[in-house]
Amino acid sequence: MMRAVKAAGSKLKLKWEYLLVLLLIVEIIIFGNLNPNFLKPRVLFGSVNDFISICIISVFSCFVFITGGIDLQAGSIVGLTSIIIGVLWKDFGFNIWAACLLAMLIGSLCGALSGFFIAYTGVQPMVVTLGGSFLFSGLAIAVSNLSNTPAYLGINGFPEAFTWFTKKRLFKVLPVQFIIFLILAAIAYIILHRTKYGRKVFLCGINQRSAEYSGINTKLIVMSTYIFSGMSASIAGIVMTSYLGTSKADFGSDLTMPIITAIVLGGTSTLGGKGSVTGTALAALVIGVLRFGLSMSGLSNQYMDIPVGIMLVVVVAASSISKNMKIKAFIRKHLNLPFKQSARQV
Amino acid sequence: MRFIKMMAKRREISSIIFLFVLYAIAGLVNSSFLKSENIMLTLNGATVYTICAIGMAFVIFTGEIDASIGGILGLSAAVSASMIRDGYPWTTAILTAVCIGLIIGSVNGFGVAVLKIPSIIMTIGINSIVRGLSYVYTGGAWVENVPSEFKQISQKGIAGLSWMYIATIVVMIAIQIFLTKTRQGRYFHAVGDNADGAVNIGLPVTATKFVSYLISAVCASLASVVFVSRIGFVTPTSGNGYEMIAIAACVIGGISLSGGVGNVIGATFGALIMSSISRILVFLGFSSNYDNTITGILLITIVVADAMVNKRKLESARRERLKARTSIVTENLAKGGEML
Amino acid sequence: METMSTVKSLDSNSAILSVCGIYKSFGQNQVLKGIDLDVGPGEILALIGGNGAGKSTLMKIIMRIYQQDSGEIYIGGKKLTGSRPIEALNQGVYLVPQEPMLFPNMTVEENILIGFNENPKELRKRLLNLLKQLSWELDLNRLAITLSIAEQQLVEILRGLLRNAKLLILDEPTSALTFDEVESLFTIINDLKSKNICIIYITHRLSEVFEIATHVAIMRDGIITLRGQVKDFTREMLVQGLLPPDTRKKELEFKSAAPDYENLKPVFSLKDYSGYGFSNITFDVYPGEILGLAGVVGAGRTELATTIFGRDRVLGGKAYLDGEDITGLPTSEIIKKGINYVPEDRLRHGIFRIGNVAANMTSGCLSRLGKFLMDFKSEKRITAQYIKDFYIKVTDQEQLISSLSGGNQQKVVVASKLATKPKLIILDEPTRGIDAAARGEIYAIINRLKEEGVAVLLISSDMEEIIELSDRAITMFQGRINHIFQKEDINQNNLMSAAFDVYQDEKKGE
Repeated sequence: MMRAVKAAGSKLKLKWEYLLVLLLIVEIIIFGNLNPNFLKPRVLFGSVNDFISICIISVFSCFVFITGGIDLQAGSIVGLTSIIIGVLWKDFGFNIWAACLLAMLIGSLCGALSGFFIAYTGVQPMVVTLGGSFLFSGLAIAVSNLSNTPAYLGINGFPEAFTWFTKKRLFKVLPVQFIIFLILAAIAYIILHRTKYGRKVFLCGINQRSAEYSGINTKLIVMSTYIFSGMSASIAGIVMTSYLGTSKADFGSDLTMPIITAIVLGGTSTLGGKGSVTGTALAALVIGVLRFGLSMSGLSNQYMDIPVGIMLVVVVAASSISKNMKIKAFIRKHLNLPFKQSARQV
Repeated sequence: MRFIKMMAKRREISSIIFLFVLYAIAGLVNSSFLKSENIMLTLNGATVYTICAIGMAFVIFTGEIDASIGGILGLSAAVSASMIRDGYPWTTAILTAVCIGLIIGSVNGFGVAVLKIPSIIMTIGINSIVRGLSYVYTGGAWVENVPSEFKQISQKGIAGLSWMYIATIVVMIAIQIFLTKTRQGRYFHAVGDNADGAVNIGLPVTATKFVSYLISAVCASLASVVFVSRIGFVTPTSGNGYEMIAIAACVIGGISLSGGVGNVIGATFGALIMSSISRILVFLGFSSNYDNTITGILLITIVVADAMVNKRKLESARRERLKARTSIVTENLAKGGEML
Repeated sequence: METMSTVKSLDSNSAILSVCGIYKSFGQNQVLKGIDLDVGPGEILALIGGNGAGKSTLMKIIMRIYQQDSGEIYIGGKKLTGSRPIEALNQGVYLVPQEPMLFPNMTVEENILIGFNENPKELRKRLLNLLKQLSWELDLNRLAITLSIAEQQLVEILRGLLRNAKLLILDEPTSALTFDEVESLFTIINDLKSKNICIIYITHRLSEVFEIATHVAIMRDGIITLRGQVKDFTREMLVQGLLPPDTRKKELEFKSAAPDYENLKPVFSLKDYSGYGFSNITFDVYPGEILGLAGVVGAGRTELATTIFGRDRVLGGKAYLDGEDITGLPTSEIIKKGINYVPEDRLRHGIFRIGNVAANMTSGCLSRLGKFLMDFKSEKRITAQYIKDFYIKVTDQEQLISSLSGGNQQKVVVASKLATKPKLIILDEPTRGIDAAARGEIYAIINRLKEEGVAVLLISSDMEEIIELSDRAITMFQGRINHIFQKEDINQNNLMSAAFDVYQDEKKGE
């Protein structure tokens, strides 16, 4: 019987994404009931604007998790990107697009720095990215001090060309941001699930030793995942700056937890080797819609950490329990559930 | 190279040296920094960080992490502050805070030690739940009007050094003795040093990890009491990010995140460094805005240097082992034994 | 000449250790197939067996690190239950592991004394006394991480000696010790014997058996084949006991021709090749040849293979592939040049456990699957090809490799390494833990490789396997080659003796 469960388990991989879709639909129905405005396509799709950063970053950050690492610095790269764009454009007279490009380059370099240390010196990803988060948020503040505009005001007055496209809606309904998200998710999907590189990422995550014995340059692969993560944080920073029309150093400072939640909820294992862009994208939507729906129902922002946190803990606990033989034996013994013992004697 | 090796070996010593150098530089630039009132102020200001770091150290010794102490601190601060404001006896308020810590610590401990949930995820999730609970409790409002008698406690001291900091140091020394000299105290480091080896020799690994989370949470609660007394009010975002500061303090103080290495003395100095950085920057004429940058550079440098040294150590140990196999033959032949 | 004799010197009630009918399987792999064993007070039982015989597993079960599938264990008449080592420790059992498991960042003294419930001062006194008795040179204040492996072993032994155990199990305690250290250890062991403590002593060194043990038991393939008092045995009898029974005949279905050594040039050569764990290795491998490499665990064969493969630094000497110097190249280069390696540890270094069959199959030859985008069609094709050719039993290509039997898993690994079309393939214990049918199929694969002109370096602890497949055979002992056998000399006796380094040229024939 355990064999059947295990076989079903591999099909469960697809099922997890169906579960997320189901969850999304359930959310929409519930919140739609609580507040009919919620169901208006304009409103529903518009909600993306609030949590687009989480979506964009998580679909690329999941690469890092698949290799068994963790990235705590993505949030601070968002702010760093934003303020660099502002300062370069306003105080140094850069062309806005050049500023964006340069900011993105710097964001990728931030990722590369941590990624290099993690891959080549064996340092633990958590501490180095923690240090990175301090460093990059500190650098963002330093950059904002270069500007004539006081930090708390934020740099404003960006050219129309830069800010219009994030506010535009296709067919009056679909925000361009949503399209951006879909495109980026598609790109992430292709990279992770359709290229040789993506396959190598998975193999490194499943078993780094075996990957090395297969001739894969695991160090380079691991480092590259952090570069992708940093790059996606930069893109999120650009989009946020464009949408809000202002450039601030502390953008993204509270994104770390939702990003990790989206990735873990999306089915990516913290031990590495497992994960998908589709799952992550859906999970990001689930979390985002949950927060938006709760706020539309009158719940203020800070309360929303509770359901999201509970979701994370429950998912991760269930995953751990299902892997732990001793606990399963415990449940079997005390709750008399019909788990048959796998054949042991010969 | 040897100097770096020595530094890496006794990192709490190098963090002490670093602290002194830092203070010396600050004093050179602005001599009023080294005035005793100022130094006392800096020490007192480090009390909350220190207590948090000491609690976090227990968890890190066992090889795990606790990313929830910020939320625990916030919730405990809100609850105890409101109780004190509303006239409850102080001991009741403090005990309630400690109970909150015990409850949350047990949840963390159960998830990580019993269910084997990865500690970073478990505690990140619990942290957001606890932060939300804190918001529910306060309704989003600040907790103010804490009676000034309570706030005075943190001001009372001797020669400018607050009793709270002195008490913290005394307890820290007791903890250090417990961890290094008593039988059960050694379990924490053992579990982090070699968890499988610990199981094989009969050490209570699950219980040790569970207790470490209790201690970490209770420390956060006690720190929250100090917080309330020092700051005098609690906002919905009080305590945010303190877990990261505590982790950084531990790492700077020579505690390795892989477990089994370091001591609470280092954590104390690490906390002192963390809390001194912004003060020092101000005295040096920089805006305190740069303290994040400095912290980040410090953390990364320490951790990378540590990893590199470790890697080298492990590699050479492995190679030693393999070399020994082939050289035993020659040695034994020389001793007149048979080639067994 | 082997008997399942369970000669009991005492009846079970006064035996300190009584093992009855222990069975243990890991997944599909049955490691222990009914072990019965008694050890009485004051007995020193030497337990010998080849790699994979199940000795360490049995000891770990006694120590409650693993739990048996069925059967019972009694210590001093009391049944041993529980799933944690502390239960065994409380009953007076202690296992000194083969690989030291110390706490690297604690001192030697802390490592030895941790976990005891006694008065620390008393304990320390006992330890110092013990050290004096042993006259071992060990600085109690050194950190364990600075110790050599020999010193770590000493520490583990000290833990055991200090434990007042009723049953002390020593798993290869002398593998890294010097002559003097071994002698002093034996003195202590004799002292324990006089105190009626019983000791199980696992070793590869037959001479030690005669020096220290009172009884001997031989394990092979999960059962005990020989058991009795040491004084009743000779060295030859022990070696015989390690061999499989003559009755187990295997039809060699494939008699492939030996390579034409006269007219062929070696495809792979090592000249004075030295690295970590081996030194001064010189041999050639010819295309279409199967060169067997035999020896016991620790002989250095795997280290040799992994160093050739680019996983560790070369300390001296040269390696040549088709005349080209490939010494010290990184793994990806080595694979490109035409060498591949099937790792010894299938689970940890060979398979991608949570990946599916196709992903495992193509893990090594990704360079052939398109430029940037994965060529899934080719992946399917290659996978299907090997599934067919190797008779790999799968439901489909998407099946997770973890749900395959050991034999099929190994076939996938072998296929994945062959997919790069190497000139030399190094197989490290290719049939360890695999059922007989799959083993035969893998032999067929190896023979086919031979016919295709691929050179095969076969590392194996299974003497039968070496005999069946090899055209020539090399034995290694403690990092050096100690003999090269031509086909006519490859037989059980010679190989086993050479592996235990007791081969003498007079001993020829069966």
